[in-house]
Amino acid sequence: MTGARGFRRIDGEENLERRATFRTPLLPWLLVLPQLLIIFVFFYWPTGEAFVWAFTLEQPWGGGREWVGWQNFFEVFNSAHYWSSVKVSIVYAVGTSILAIGAALLLALFVDREVRGSRHWRVALIWPYAIAAPAIGMIFRFVFDARAGIFSVLNTISPNAWDPSLNGTHAMLMLILAGAWQLVAYNFVFFLAGLQSIPRALTEAAAMDGAGPMRRMRDIQVPLLAPTFFFLLVINLTDSFTNSFGLVDIMTAGGPARATDLMVYKIYADGFKGLDYSGAAAQSIVLMGLMVLLTFVQFRFVERKMHYR
Amino acid sequence: MVERRPLLDLFTHFLLLLSAVALLVPVWLAFVAATHDIAGVNRVPINWLPGPHFFDNLSEAWTRGGFASRFMTSLVVAIGVTAGKIVLAMLAAFAIVFFHWRLRLVVFWLIFITLMLPLEVRIVPTYAVAANALRPFQAILDVTGLTWLIQMVAGIQVDLQWRLLNSTAGLILPLIATATGTFLYRQFFLTIPEELVEAAKMDGAGPLRFLRDVLVPLSGTTMAALATILFVYAWNQYLWPLLVTTEPERATVMVQLSRMVPRGDGAPEWNIVMAGALLAMLPPLAIVILMQRWFVRGLVQTEK
Amino acid sequence: MKFKIAALAAGLALSFGAHDAEAQTRTRFTWWYGLSGQLGEVMESYCKNFNASQNEFEIVCTNQNSYDRALQNTIAAFRAGEHPTMVQVYDVGTTDLMLSGQYLPARQLMSENGYSVQWDNYISSVGNYYATSKGEMLSFPFNSSTAVMYWNAGAYRAVGQEKPPETWEEVEKAARALKAQGHACPIAIDFDSWQHWEQFNAIHNLPMATQQNGFGGLNAELQIAPLFRRHANNLIAWQKEGLIQIRTPQGGRGLADSFAQGECAMMMASIANHVAIGRTAKADLQWSVGMLPLYAGHNRTNSMVGGASLWVLKGRPAAEYKGAAAFLAFIAKPEQEQFMVSNTGYIPVTRTGFESIKASGFYDQPQNRGREVAMTSLLVTEPTENSRGLRLGNFTQIRALYANEMAAAFSGQKTMDQALNDLQAESNRLLRRFEQTYRGRQLP
Repeated sequence: MTGARGFRRIDGEENLERRATFRTPLLPWLLVLPQLLIIFVFFYWPTGEAFVWAFTLEQPWGGGREWVGWQNFFEVFNSAHYWSSVKVSIVYAVGTSILAIGAALLLALFVDREVRGSRHWRVALIWPYAIAAPAIGMIFRFVFDARAGIFSVLNTISPNAWDPSLNGTHAMLMLILAGAWQLVAYNFVFFLAGLQSIPRALTEAAAMDGAGPMRRMRDIQVPLLAPTFFFLLVINLTDSFTNSFGLVDIMTAGGPARATDLMVYKIYADGFKGLDYSGAAAQSIVLMGLMVLLTFVQFRFVERKMHYR
Repeated sequence: MVERRPLLDLFTHFLLLLSAVALLVPVWLAFVAATHDIAGVNRVPINWLPGPHFFDNLSEAWTRGGFASRFMTSLVVAIGVTAGKIVLAMLAAFAIVFFHWRLRLVVFWLIFITLMLPLEVRIVPTYAVAANALRPFQAILDVTGLTWLIQMVAGIQVDLQWRLLNSTAGLILPLIATATGTFLYRQFFLTIPEELVEAAKMDGAGPLRFLRDVLVPLSGTTMAALATILFVYAWNQYLWPLLVTTEPERATVMVQLSRMVPRGDGAPEWNIVMAGALLAMLPPLAIVILMQRWFVRGLVQTEK
Repeated sequence: MKFKIAALAAGLALSFGAHDAEAQTRTRFTWWYGLSGQLGEVMESYCKNFNASQNEFEIVCTNQNSYDRALQNTIAAFRAGEHPTMVQVYDVGTTDLMLSGQYLPARQLMSENGYSVQWDNYISSVGNYYATSKGEMLSFPFNSSTAVMYWNAGAYRAVGQEKPPETWEEVEKAARALKAQGHACPIAIDFDSWQHWEQFNAIHNLPMATQQNGFGGLNAELQIAPLFRRHANNLIAWQKEGLIQIRTPQGGRGLADSFAQGECAMMMASIANHVAIGRTAKADLQWSVGMLPLYAGHNRTNSMVGGASLWVLKGRPAAEYKGAAAFLAFIAKPEQEQFMVSNTGYIPVTRTGFESIKASGFYDQPQNRGREVAMTSLLVTEPTENSRGLRLGNFTQIRALYANEMAAAFSGQKTMDQALNDLQAESNRLLRRFEQTYRGRQLP
């Protein structure tokens, strides 16, 4: 995850109006101008251009383009490869999200018990967030390598018992583990923050009533974490759709036999390797639509629910 | 602590220890691999204990990857992105929160929308813009007929060009084009009491002085939190640098790392590659561990 | 008057470091190449030697790590106006370059810069690959090769196979005997289409596509020859039987490495690997080279030339072209051809080069034994429509398709027949898209 999506609620309805404000007409424009210029050139213009490309057929060497209407989209949606890419993207996204959220929730619940050394536990669990996808991809590729990795011993017993370079299921499993490994720390931070914002009085009152720690987790903490859970689910899904590029490129390059050809990798591969900029642009538009949808869900349904306090 | 439950505490510790170890295993194996020679790293079953070649492998990876200059590039990019984003974000958020002007909401939404689409999904056309960052303006001039007009009136053929491929600016600028920090700052500015603004106005302080003397000092924590997050984010970028640096000499650490496994024939020298991976992940790791407090705060800032 | 803001923008603090602007006394020009590993080092020595040989020009060489990347990055950079003066493009990228129209034809470049080249001295099967239908060469043949069979003579002798097996029937029999002796990997294959599919069709004189493999026009359609279908199904059966193992770089050890370490007793690969295998082979490995096996009852046609040629791209300052021409004249010298042949497994590309290398007794030296097999294989017949090469667009993608479909078949996700049908359908979709992209354009 990019920091870029690590923001939360923006309070659509809250008071944008302050009473005490400056009223200099030109200055605010000057202040926002740098930001507006940069997002115009590197965000709005390219996004707009993606739409133009998606409806044209662009020559790889830039010799010219031809208007083709919806053809690029038809080809994308009629391609079995595209649908298999959608399928493996979903498998990957759901797999990593479940694994990363489940593990993080469990850990956060226990760290929040504030047993001795809790602060140190936090460091011990948080650092994976700092590791870049290419580095962790490289490491996992080595760890799961069929000849040098931890499972190489299986292959000496029975050849090809473990081989992510030939077996699509193995490759996907390896990718999901790496993806989840990366996300656990992030989720953990949020769950822990969520837990710590639960008023102590609530848990203490429950303890007085004789509810044991496990019971309190089940009846009080977990339900109160539901909004955090949904928030993380959306963030994790979004992240697996976009930020998985580094892992795939380093670990599997989409293979074997497209078993790990995630949508974001396919855009790169079709566009920059296959030189089909138009087809890649059409796929980008589809993925953009998906992102907008997820963001919409996040703000419409998830963020609202977060106003539980 | 609510009550004492020694057995549960023990179990808690055990579970946490297990998880911490599980998270550590891959990196430990990478470290062990980086301490063996090529035969040791290809041994079956895998080595779990370090060997004697750690520093040989590190220095081999360092020289083979040309890491001295790669680290410089990555450092410049990470600092550039961090500083650039913080400055832009602070100024924009300042304008949005503390000024009363028309179109404020429009600008706010224009910035906000950029959060929806990460660079990865608009990578193809963004690359085209990086080839010439002034192309959007050129296109506007062309379409509006201004190019023609200028040509007629002044006899100058306008041909705006600013090539960003293989340049530091090309590595940095597109990564700045999101609104992450703007919202963090906005959240923070909204917590500034109105009285403070009033008092500043009473003292006759203009907006810029208010920003410099009051807001900047107050926003130290926000800035530190944002800086940690952004540094890690920028250092770890991969797809964009991979595309925008066509000359291997201009590559960042992450791109260089990906090149250390041979694409053609030949078995990868995992000991060297793992040493390279360890080197590449060190700076952000150090930041997260040393600045843990700010880092966590940055991640969940708007929680508060 | 042309007003460029580039200079102004470059002055902006942000664009530091794009290029050092120090005054150059020599004219610099750039070359991107795709070969990596030991072959990449040889490319690098060409650059060093050229720079040392004169002081008017300086060539700046960039390793792009693979042929695909060299081509992809060149195109991306070309769109951005940051392309190199010269680029190494592999055999099947020729069509993409030809249609781009963004190159300086080799003949024009050399004559404009005052070099005379004996164009008819190139071995015809090499030269024709890079020439227009009228026979004008557009790029410079550089590193050329063909596919051969490498076999572990020691291992196969143990099962009574004294000379390189010539037919797949012999291969099968010998591999089975080897397997019976407990050998884990009698044959290694990967998912590289060049030696396993394209060359198979060439030596059996089978078409890859209609329209004379695409030479006749962009409307060529890819075909799967029935014999190749049979062969591919055999490969699957042999893999199940344990005669074949898949060895890919992604899996940690590629073909050449598996062979050189003595793990696998046979492989099909480029003759270019010959020197590298000789240097990395296990101490007691007795290995040798033979022509690619045929199916019994077929006559051998020449194998296709592979490798790459050098293209000079449009849109660079004229001074750089002088440098490029000087470099191309440099590598065409007999002693440079000799340098390539003795430091890599590549073949000589000119007739005189081949004759003089042969006359020097090169092929009789022990470390070069078997290298002449490549020449024999290339020259066994005159090139036919099916064996002179391919002129198909998007072929980088078609090769990737082949790799993916083979991976699917060998991992049991599909039957081989299904995989080949999908390969054909999807390849034709790519070819049609290429045709549409260049609608109205003709192959030169």
